[in-house]
Amino acid sequence: MTTAVSIPTHGGTGGDTAVAARARQVVKAYGTGETRVVALDHVDVDIARGQFTAIMGPSGSGKSTLMHCLAGLDTVTSGEIHLDDTEITKLKDKKLTQLRRDRIGFIFQAFNLLPTLNALENITLPMDIAGRKPDAAWLNRVVETVGLSERLKHRPTQLSGGQQQRVAVARALAARPEIIFGDEPTGNLDSRAGAEVLGFLRRSVDELGQTIVMVTHDPVAASYADRVLYLADGRIVDEMLRPTADAVLDRMKDFDARGRTS
Amino acid sequence: MTVFKTSLRNFLAHKGRMALSAVAVLLSVAFVCGTLVFTDTMNTTFDKLFSVTAADVTVSPQDADDTDQNPRTGKPESMPASVLDTVAKTEGVQRAEGAVMSMSVTVVNAENKNMGSSTGAPTIAGNWTQNDLKAMEITSGHAPRGPTEVMVDADTADKHGLKLGDELRTIAVTGDFTAKISGIASFKVTNPGAAVVYFDTATAQRELLGEEGLFTHVLATGADDLSDEQLKKNVAAALDAPYKLQTAKEAADAGRAEVGSFLDVMKYAMLGFAGIAVLVGVFLIVNTFSMLVAQRTREIGLMRAIGSSRKQVNRSVLLEALLLGVIGSVAGVAAGVGLAVGLMELMGSIGMELSTKDLTVKWTTPAVGLVLGVKVTVVAAYIPARRAGKISPMAALRDAGMPADAKAGRVRAAVGLLLTGAGAAALVTAARADQARQGSMFLGLGVVLTLVGFIVIGPLLAGIVVRMLSAPTLRLLGPVGRLAERNALRNPRRTGATGAALMIGLALVACLSVVGSSMVASATEELDKSVGADFIVSSDGGQPIVPQVQAALEETQGIVHVTEYRIVDAELTSPDGKTEDESLVAADPTYAQDLRRTTVAGELSAAYGKNAMSVGDSYAEEHGVKVGDTLTVAFKGGRSAQLKVAAITSDDTNVDKGAMYMNITTAAQYLPAEKMPQNLLLFAKAVDGQEKEAYGALKASIADYPTYKVQNQTDFKQDLKDQVGQLLNIVYGLLALAIIVAVLGVVNTLALSVVERTREIGLMRAIGLSRRQLRRMIRLESVVIALFGALLGLGLGMGWGTAAQKLLALEGLEVLEIPWPTIVTVFIGSAFVGLFAALVPAFRAGRMNVLNAIATE
Repeated sequence: MTTAVSIPTHGGTGGDTAVAARARQVVKAYGTGETRVVALDHVDVDIARGQFTAIMGPSGSGKSTLMHCLAGLDTVTSGEIHLDDTEITKLKDKKLTQLRRDRIGFIFQAFNLLPTLNALENITLPMDIAGRKPDAAWLNRVVETVGLSERLKHRPTQLSGGQQQRVAVARALAARPEIIFGDEPTGNLDSRAGAEVLGFLRRSVDELGQTIVMVTHDPVAASYADRVLYLADGRIVDEMLRPTADAVLDRMKDFDARGRTS
Repeated sequence: MTVFKTSLRNFLAHKGRMALSAVAVLLSVAFVCGTLVFTDTMNTTFDKLFSVTAADVTVSPQDADDTDQNPRTGKPESMPASVLDTVAKTEGVQRAEGAVMSMSVTVVNAENKNMGSSTGAPTIAGNWTQNDLKAMEITSGHAPRGPTEVMVDADTADKHGLKLGDELRTIAVTGDFTAKISGIASFKVTNPGAAVVYFDTATAQRELLGEEGLFTHVLATGADDLSDEQLKKNVAAALDAPYKLQTAKEAADAGRAEVGSFLDVMKYAMLGFAGIAVLVGVFLIVNTFSMLVAQRTREIGLMRAIGSSRKQVNRSVLLEALLLGVIGSVAGVAAGVGLAVGLMELMGSIGMELSTKDLTVKWTTPAVGLVLGVKVTVVAAYIPARRAGKISPMAALRDAGMPADAKAGRVRAAVGLLLTGAGAAALVTAARADQARQGSMFLGLGVVLTLVGFIVIGPLLAGIVVRMLSAPTLRLLGPVGRLAERNALRNPRRTGATGAALMIGLALVACLSVVGSSMVASATEELDKSVGADFIVSSDGGQPIVPQVQAALEETQGIVHVTEYRIVDAELTSPDGKTEDESLVAADPTYAQDLRRTTVAGELSAAYGKNAMSVGDSYAEEHGVKVGDTLTVAFKGGRSAQLKVAAITSDDTNVDKGAMYMNITTAAQYLPAEKMPQNLLLFAKAVDGQEKEAYGALKASIADYPTYKVQNQTDFKQDLKDQVGQLLNIVYGLLALAIIVAVLGVVNTLALSVVERTREIGLMRAIGLSRRQLRRMIRLESVVIALFGALLGLGLGMGWGTAAQKLLALEGLEVLEIPWPTIVTVFIGSAFVGLFAALVPAFRAGRMNVLNAIATE
């Protein structure tokens, strides 16, 4: 049995509840019988609104699966996931798509942008798809925050990797989603570009009150978060508030050592 | 060997992506092989028929032409019974029989329904001989005896539900003749469709040749130890006058040559259409391999990095093409045989009986299919293969997930524009040409150059045309439309090639429809101008009009005149001493009113005077003939006449172009009655104001003769239009193959694009693109590609058609008519074709698992 991790309410911006998303007894298993592999084993987790949460864990720990399930990209075998008041584990594809479009933002590790669209078009794409007009003032602010004003007409191939990820961050922010999920958003960047992107994510939490969940295996990246959750073997095994890179690294070493001896 | 192994593995790994290319190869090869098998089978069928029915030696009159279904006199050439006696007494002749055979007959049942074939196969009437037993057997009743009995072949009996005792009326130039069915005989070999009736010998002579004691053939059977050649020599020596003698082999060869030349025309026409499909298939294969190479850039880069040479990479791609070619071709050969059987069934349903027993697959057929399929595939894959060879080892290290937008190169644009420009210039030259031969050369050149030019600048045009098409349509559909437009534009070379494949077929459709409707429009205009007759009487198959029909028409109330129109063959010697075979028109003087002709010199009415005639102005010019000159006209089967040229008609016309006219009475002076041709057409004029009544009355008067029809001008024009329409439909049907292959190309491009853009699709789905939006995006892309191809094709085709019409104006095709309804229908139809092509790719894209799609490398 995994310990339910409850988060004290603080810093939420405007939501009715302090919890943006919550998972209860979530199981994700692949295959059946002897070949059954459990990726998530009765996970309970609350994601606090207006906070930057990092999910860490070794390869195969289920951290990406957890994020995918929370984001409505993947279905669960059992358990419930709520996004605010919506139980997304009950939604059909059509509603899930709408939910992702209107209430969730994504930043993937790579290949975040459509090569046929320029930076601005990529940023407004989710709203275009929804047939909504972007809020011009907000859009300007986001674009300026990520420092892309000069490059809005560029195609992705004309941008560097760091710039591309910044466009992805801008896209995620532009639609003002309730929650942004990042799947190793800095995994493909060098440390300078990575720091830049993480800086933006941090600022968007601090200044714009954005809720962000990020999967990473980089202790430095995790140190930008308010809180780090550790996953191992499909369970949440630990958490750390106000982490620093060194503390995260130490904790990781502990897990590795334990993993080797057990 | 490793090269082979990687090729094989790659091929198997991508067999789904190869499938459509294989189908394209399959279709083309199947069409080629199907055509070959079908025509070979037809040849075999006729061969068997001819060799079975031929006697050891056949004697016929010297002028006899057994292949002529419609001799002008309405009667076959014949010879006296004495020939039979002579042959019977000749040394080595075991049995001699006199045969009567005429194909100038129509057989109708009690309801006046034509028993003949509707496929152009003849109705054959004759006497029942021992020789016929070689090919047929009486399966019910007995052979005809006496003047009231007739025997009919079983196929015809089956087709029309004829039974013993039913009455059949035979319409021949000598009169109508009714007899009861006494027997039914079945063919032992396949009879491809002729309707055959038999009488006893005396009846056949009387009713088909007009008198007893005449034969059309004498059939000699030799002693067993005597060769046919020797028998022929003996018979030739015994006969005093010159006759046409044929051994069984010669007779069969003659028949085969006649049928063969017709089948060859059909074969090459169909192979031509297969060739177009092959060309279209090439685009599909090029696209497939280009995409495979692009998707595999990293893999190929890795192979290069670990030491594969360019040549090896190149060869491995070509090996895959070879595999594809072999698989597609082998399946194609098999499908071709199936296609041939299907065609035979189809022929059977319209009355042409062919038996699968005669199915002929020569060893050359699969050989041709395989060589063609493999060669085309490998050649088409060559360019992509070379591109694969050029991939640098560094590509393995770069993230080559997405191929960069292929910019249409400047060189390409320059070459394409140059070709298109040269082609357009050639087309303009052709349109302005004043000599048909030179003009058609330029036309051909123009067509080829503009086609190649368009293919070369296709990618460039894709950018322009897609933007043009999208401006009013796609952008209205919001972001999905914009995404579709961008996708269609992202690889102009691919869009260009896919569209070009569709362009080829549609260009031909547009060109032919322009020429066809111009043809109808020109002819209609000409008919309005020149035809004065109210009614035209003709037969379905160009048979002469029997006198009974003429008599019935002449008795009709409300008719001012009936004009006879006959074609007379003669040798014409002009004053410059040159002699040529010509067909002259012998008509009643009223023909000058029925068909108004402008004259360059003289009065046309004077040409109908005694011993007078007219010539066309090109003949007059060529031979320096002036009004008042005398021509020597040696009538075939008659005497020689000196006729004075009384008029020269203008050749600036479509109707009766170059015709030479004379009065029937003039021809009758020099031709014995039995050599006088029958009427080919009749023209009639109604009393003013009574046209409608007269039309009905005329139709009623010949109701007993189903092969003849009376048409007023409106019906005649409609008939003309229908005939052109029918011809166009056949051609469109054959072009459908090329269009189907092109549509497969669109499906292929989309399917491969969807695979190639898997990650992108995953991303879009993740950030909220619904399945419906995704499917719509792919459908719109498909529609844009299809419309791009259609626009290019229709534009190009209309250009060709217009140039062709301007050139053919020299031949009287003076009115240009663009068939807008057809053009617009094809354009709109292409949009639907695009939707249809996107069905499966869109469905598959919609079904993609979002997570897997994002994770795809």
